[in-house]
Amino acid sequence: MESSDIKTSAVKIAERDGVNFYRVSSDKFKTSRADVYFVDNLSQERASGNALVPLMMKRGCESYPDFIELETRLEELYGADINAGAVKKGENQIIGFHMSHISDRYANNERLFDSCSDLLMCMLEKPLIDDSGFKKSLFRQERDNLIAFIRSRINDKINFSLTRCIEEMCEGEPYAIPDDGTEEGALLLDPKISMDIYKEMISTYPAYVYFSGDIDDKSIKRFIDNFLSGRRSSIKRIDSTNIKKSITSVKKINEKMDVNQGKLCMGFRTNIEPSSQDYYSLVVYNAILGGSTHSKLFRNVREKESLAYYAQSVLEKYKGLMIIMSGIEATDCIKAEDIMLAQVEEMKKGNISKDDMEASLKSLETGMKSIQDSQGAIVDFFFSQNLTQNDDDFDSLIQKFKSVKIDDVVKVAQNVELDTIYFLEPDGNKEGQI
Amino acid sequence: MNYNTISNAKLGETIYEYNHKSGLKVFFVRKAGYNKKTAMFGTNYGSMDNVFKVPGSGEEIRVPDGIAHFLEHKLFEQKDGNMLEKFSKLGSSPNAYTSFNQTVYYFSCTDLFEENFRMLLDYVQNPWLTDENVEKEKGIISQEIRMYQDNAGWCVFFNLLDCLYINSPVKLEIAGTIESISKINKELLYHCYNTFYTPSNMVVTVAGDCEPETVFSIVDEMIKFKDNGMVEKKYPDEPKEINKEYMEQMLAVSMPLFNMGIKDNVLVTGYDLIKRRTALNIAVQFVSGRSSQLFNDLYSQGLINESFNSEASVNANYSYLAWGGQSVDPKKTCGIISKYLKNMTQEGMQKDAFERIRKSQKGSFIRSLNSMDSIARLIMDSYFNNASFFDIARAYEELDLDYTNQVVKEVFNNPWALSVINPQ
Repeated sequence: MESSDIKTSAVKIAERDGVNFYRVSSDKFKTSRADVYFVDNLSQERASGNALVPLMMKRGCESYPDFIELETRLEELYGADINAGAVKKGENQIIGFHMSHISDRYANNERLFDSCSDLLMCMLEKPLIDDSGFKKSLFRQERDNLIAFIRSRINDKINFSLTRCIEEMCEGEPYAIPDDGTEEGALLLDPKISMDIYKEMISTYPAYVYFSGDIDDKSIKRFIDNFLSGRRSSIKRIDSTNIKKSITSVKKINEKMDVNQGKLCMGFRTNIEPSSQDYYSLVVYNAILGGSTHSKLFRNVREKESLAYYAQSVLEKYKGLMIIMSGIEATDCIKAEDIMLAQVEEMKKGNISKDDMEASLKSLETGMKSIQDSQGAIVDFFFSQNLTQNDDDFDSLIQKFKSVKIDDVVKVAQNVELDTIYFLEPDGNKEGQI
Repeated sequence: MNYNTISNAKLGETIYEYNHKSGLKVFFVRKAGYNKKTAMFGTNYGSMDNVFKVPGSGEEIRVPDGIAHFLEHKLFEQKDGNMLEKFSKLGSSPNAYTSFNQTVYYFSCTDLFEENFRMLLDYVQNPWLTDENVEKEKGIISQEIRMYQDNAGWCVFFNLLDCLYINSPVKLEIAGTIESISKINKELLYHCYNTFYTPSNMVVTVAGDCEPETVFSIVDEMIKFKDNGMVEKKYPDEPKEINKEYMEQMLAVSMPLFNMGIKDNVLVTGYDLIKRRTALNIAVQFVSGRSSQLFNDLYSQGLINESFNSEASVNANYSYLAWGGQSVDPKKTCGIISKYLKNMTQEGMQKDAFERIRKSQKGSFIRSLNSMDSIARLIMDSYFNNASFFDIARAYEELDLDYTNQVVKEVFNNPWALSVINPQ
């Protein structure tokens, strides 16, 4: 049976003072959402401050000044959720606030959207402050928490090795800065500096708001009218991400840690912008190389040689990077590296079967259709399209992937250049412990 | 076609139930407007089931730890190729997981549901094991085990189970150890397969926008295996006491990580299980959720951060409550938590807080109905616990404060154990 014919779209319904409001059509979900995004340039000076702001907002606001009051209110609203955090997309840093609640029809027809919106706006507009800036005691705690969080990146070895690979690969470029900034950046913050960054966010960062779910027009109008009303001033200019870099020699980094399994990450430059025509071919290229269980990497590294449990490649589309990742024994490092690079060569030579091509296109199509079954993922998709100034919706994107030919894939393969090999190496203490 | 239709108007969901003649149960939930279809084929067999009677012979055997998980990996291999590849040729994503008491094979797709579903039903019925392909898998699973040995969150949890449980096999690593899997061979795998992969011990659950007749007729067409009879599992008696109060391990982490737990010794099944699970989850949120005094005390003292979490895991053959996260001082943190738990057994929960948290958790349940995967999982879990999917909603309606406070009295006073991972 074919999927439903209803097109998932995000329609712009208003624009005011650098805030763009969109409405996502979908009525199948049992929840309603409002997602708010503020966009800044990713920079060493501001990244940690931008990461701290949402942590401060989550501590409470004038009407709900502590966790007990704030969380009790969310529980009363049938387990509504307001989450917030910072992520990077290319060389932009995004501060997101995500509000969701179950639809009114499952909540005795209480008007949950209005109540949740009031709470969200209170958190955004009336944070807990004293004369110097953010309330000092809360500021100190949240800065300590941010630093603890940054340090705890080493706990997850897979993500840590990926982050480290990108840091090394993009040394000197803004993209080297992690999502939540750095410990050095966090140490430079104080209640006043952080408060200033918050004020800039509220008044000058370009902002995007997405509504989705069963919300009536009156509630949406009320939200738009109230949102940061009278708080916006001259809107900040956001720089585009630099994609191109010429590589003179491959950087090799070996770091030792007391771990059992080594983590190998190979960072490549694709030199392709997300708004270019080649982008569609690049997505197909990545799917064939390491995007699924049908991929060359999975088949050769895992199924054929039993070297690894996971072996894959991921694209960072905003920055035009591709990273190959796998967890292996230290003694297998060179062998794994050779097999991986051989797959990249195979792509360059065009040794791509019709089956590889078809399976990859189908899996991309499944991916695009599946996104439309998650309210949060739909919003993230349209917001990302906005950031990269790409007008495609789900259907046109599927069509563009499908029109990619093997020759197009081979063409982008020629541009993929190895930049950095990062290996998180077991330091040997754990050898033979099992 | 004969099948039952059960609707729940308040949730806006209908469940279709089909009894296949082999003894296999099939459930389907239709989700209009969704692109994704998820189908799961599961057996009531997990890492805990390492001692059992072989059907027919009556012989009781003990198999190496990690064998249920090993079998899960091996079923993907078929005579004519690897299932992972075959599914991905259709553009769908196949996967499987082994838990303490279930092994589940599933896929999700957006197109070609019928082909995908036929493949799922087919390969789970047809293992293809050779000495060579069993040996090959040991390399892959060894790397999976090595990966988990570096995962601090995983280690701190299994160390807690080791503290809480004296005999129960729930404390065993799901994937086994590199040593235990070295003893696994083709014959042992077939023993396990023939015992547990039998229609009356299995269930199929499907969620998505398709017709019940389509789902059930494909089951009719594809299900060929015969029932091997009732499975007899053997679990050792688990004493009320805990194994040890404290355990610590060093790993490459930035600050100490802890898991604190309490064992619930009252094991129930069916609707009673769902009710007890619901009550304990409400109680845990009341005492330690973000709206609680305890959370606020710990957070404002800098003893916990955003990573703090808690759960009540209530199951037919093991149950526990657990709290965990990062902490600069796990022992002090647990001391404070235990004081609050003790207080709660005396003071109980207040009516208004109970109602509020019940409402909030019911909201979370309704939220989960947005996801095909979580619907298929919840139906499977309910069935294997002798309950029905709608029992979850029923428990939110029927649960009362007296019962909840009674359960709190039974459990919150039990001795607790603490597992800590320290930085090197």
